[in-house]
Amino acid sequence: MPSAEREFVLDNTLAQIPRFAEEIEAFCQLRGVAPADIYKINLALEELLTNIISYGFDDDRVHRIQVVLALQGEQFQVMLSDDGKPFDPLSEAGAAVLEGRLEDRPIGGLGVHLVRTLMDRLEYAHVDGHNRLTLHKRVRLQQAPGASSAQG
Amino acid sequence: MEIKQTQHNDILLIEPSGRLDSVSSPALDQSIAASLAGNSRLVLDLRDLEYISSAGLRVLLGAAKKVKQLGGRLILCGLKPHIHEVFEISGFLSILDIQPDQAAALACISA
Repeated sequence: MPSAEREFVLDNTLAQIPRFAEEIEAFCQLRGVAPADIYKINLALEELLTNIISYGFDDDRVHRIQVVLALQGEQFQVMLSDDGKPFDPLSEAGAAVLEGRLEDRPIGGLGVHLVRTLMDRLEYAHVDGHNRLTLHKRVRLQQAPGASSAQG
Repeated sequence: MEIKQTQHNDILLIEPSGRLDSVSSPALDQSIAASLAGNSRLVLDLRDLEYISSAGLRVLLGAAKKVKQLGGRLILCGLKPHIHEVFEISGFLSILDIQPDQAAALACISA
């Protein structure tokens, strides 16, 4: 079963998210992940990184956020690790408001709901002073651009 | 992200393209806020929008609320299937006015 792994280290600034999204897209495209799944993975990662960068740190120092992508067959896994305030988005984020009138809908609170809906499974642990969040998603694979039938 | 604006009589057509994410959404927010000073009838054509996250959804929800307070109208159109799905997951289909394309949106807002 083909497998691939890649590690990225980001610092805590929002400005690098678009460039990082291009890297994720390239990693996935090369391995034939369906565009609809690439979109969902990028969306989930942006939501989580934005939360970490915007709310995770109380000081003005530069912090490192580690992101490890792993694809084994159709199983895609992303691990995010940061040294910010302990925060489990799975238990601490409030429930999103998805019904009711326009006037009654709060602005915000949809990020974690999107992540939960778009991914298959999430796990959180606080290990050695780090938040560690792992996302799992089964993706659809197409013929990868680099793969040719002549090579089997 | 690029934001194109065109005036059609008293209707303002806004066409953002590219990514509407946590980095670019403040620009659209400011653009819509500035437009609302002179217009309360807006069509937001998303056909060239490739990506939206919750930061972008927040701007659209805020715009819809402001337009409603002003007694105006906001119609969205041209949602790509994956963007439509994000609207659906977020419960936006029941609170936003959505038309298939720009022609339908302009006809609807002019009616």
